[in-house]
Amino acid sequence: MRVEFMGIARERAGTAEVTFPAATLGQMLAMLSTRFPMLGDIVNGERLQPAFVANLNGDRFVSDPATPLVEDDSVLILSADAGG
Amino acid sequence: MAPSPFGYHGHCLRVDLSRGTSERTPLPERVLRQFLGGSGLGAWLLLEEGCAGADALAPEAPLAFVFSPLVGSPLTTSAKFAVVSKSPLTDRINDSLASSGFAIAGKRCGCDAIVVAGRAPELSTLIIDDGRIRLERAVDLRGATCGEAERALKARLGADYQVASIGPAGERGVRYATISHDGRHAGRGGSGAVLGAKNLKAVALRGTQRPAWAHPHELAEYSKALSKRSFGPATAKYRELGTASNLLAFNRLGVLPTRNFQTGTFEGASAISPEEIRQTRSRTRASCVTCTIGCEHIYALGDDEGVRIEYESLFALGSLCGVAEADVVLRASRLCDELGIDTISAGGTIAFAMECAERGWLDAPWLRFESGRAMLRAIELIARREGIGNLLAEGSRRAADAIGHGSRAIAPQVKGLEIPGYEPRALQTMALGFAVGARGADHNRSGAYEVDFSEKVDRRRVTVDAVRYAIETEDRAAIMDSLILCKFLRGVFGDFYAESAEMLRLVTGWDVAAAELRETARRIVGAKRRFNAFAGWTPEEDTLPDRFLETALEGDPAAALSRERLETLVAEYHRQRGW
Repeated sequence: MRVEFMGIARERAGTAEVTFPAATLGQMLAMLSTRFPMLGDIVNGERLQPAFVANLNGDRFVSDPATPLVEDDSVLILSADAGG
Repeated sequence: MAPSPFGYHGHCLRVDLSRGTSERTPLPERVLRQFLGGSGLGAWLLLEEGCAGADALAPEAPLAFVFSPLVGSPLTTSAKFAVVSKSPLTDRINDSLASSGFAIAGKRCGCDAIVVAGRAPELSTLIIDDGRIRLERAVDLRGATCGEAERALKARLGADYQVASIGPAGERGVRYATISHDGRHAGRGGSGAVLGAKNLKAVALRGTQRPAWAHPHELAEYSKALSKRSFGPATAKYRELGTASNLLAFNRLGVLPTRNFQTGTFEGASAISPEEIRQTRSRTRASCVTCTIGCEHIYALGDDEGVRIEYESLFALGSLCGVAEADVVLRASRLCDELGIDTISAGGTIAFAMECAERGWLDAPWLRFESGRAMLRAIELIARREGIGNLLAEGSRRAADAIGHGSRAIAPQVKGLEIPGYEPRALQTMALGFAVGARGADHNRSGAYEVDFSEKVDRRRVTVDAVRYAIETEDRAAIMDSLILCKFLRGVFGDFYAESAEMLRLVTGWDVAAAELRETARRIVGAKRRFNAFAGWTPEEDTLPDRFLETALEGDPAAALSRERLETLVAEYHRQRGW
């Protein structure tokens, strides 16, 4: 599955996206925090910090760590505040 | 006379330019507590003036600069003011906010609001020097850009004056002209045209009067703590990238309005994104007076003067017009700022005209999507009201009525105000917020998009459950716009109403509870609606253009909002509001 970083998340990660296997959202976030320590103010264990949200495939927003993921999924990580 | 409450002067200054008179009108403490300041107090003042039926550009239609209880305090982001009047674009109430030194100077003039009515005999500057009022000729500033006028007046009057001015667009009655201060704009709804109709090029203020605060030491401590919190992750987006960072995220989610809302993705988004722009341009950051967030990101543009870049300007002058040239979008944004034109309405109206030209409804073959040169030319023509610019200076709704061919269906506006950069079919709670907004399609008076960017709703299939969320965001905005605090601070608050009540208590001494502020929010929203009712509002206005209700979003068939569903949402909104 693919993780796409938007905005501040991209700034912190230093890349636009990364690909690795994960069965659930929680697993994916835990792996991210290990692989990208600079995401410390964005990812907290198996969850995102309140100022950030995850979106599955550009469709629905998800937060439950048990949310299942499949190989073709893309998880977007972006700021929760969409104010313009 | 009753003593002024803490945090207020307890009266407004009313200037009649036709008669050359001014008076201080008391503002009862009861009214101040009920409407606070900014947008809320402005709505009350307009209702008191009884001017809702007047033409927005008529001399008798007043315009109010309204300050707030928090302005002048050390609370971060509190240096803001509201400009409230009837809008010449929507013929409904308009409250535009801007920031910085003008707000503080206005409050120091010894009043809580300045109401301007009448019309000066010639182009003039209204000068208020610590409460002393005079008019000075400004005919030499005719045609000056916003920045030129401000610099000239500060040089003439003294650097300690704070100046709000209009550009050529305001002088010529462009219906979405802005009022500018220090490069920031009271941008939406055409308050610049109202000032221009009063023959005022600018308002210049300075003063020394400061109201006392009820609990100054506690207020200082609270302010320090709030500032510290404002440096956290909730504001990182604004601090590090600015609002422009929405662009790529919105494009990825398919909610970036493109080519006059024909689609929600733009193939040129990367080229005009801040991530790309900063690769080749130097960037500086700035902030309003008293602000600790610093959301302004200013990019170099091949000369000494930079350009402030906001998401709304990038979307309106970029994807909405199909323009993918970063230099052109930056130039267009700066041009709008200099001429004193709202970038959202300019982009919306030009994009609408581009589609009309493409369909053969408008004889302007040069005005086509993707052409940056055409967009820049259109902006210049609008500000001068020359040629097609005279039509486009009226905004997309009036232009559609003149063009015919049923083009109202694709005019991107609600109540005449052009829709900001949130695709309504894919963000349907926001669609409701746009439809019911007192000043038209408005992302500042309704933050309903927050709900769409969450798990609370399915953003493409919103049900009546979303209505309460839309009301919540509208109510919260009413309080923030009346206290006044910047909305970019909202993520910092744990319990917004409780913290707002505490700030108000520290400044005014009032024993305000969160529940009272919730009532205050509803009262303020209701006051705006009451003004609109006097101005001729009917429930049928609370809708979206046919395009959004008759066709799904191109490339995203699930993003469809039927007329029936929107009507159900609006009816439920009216029911919950008690209207």
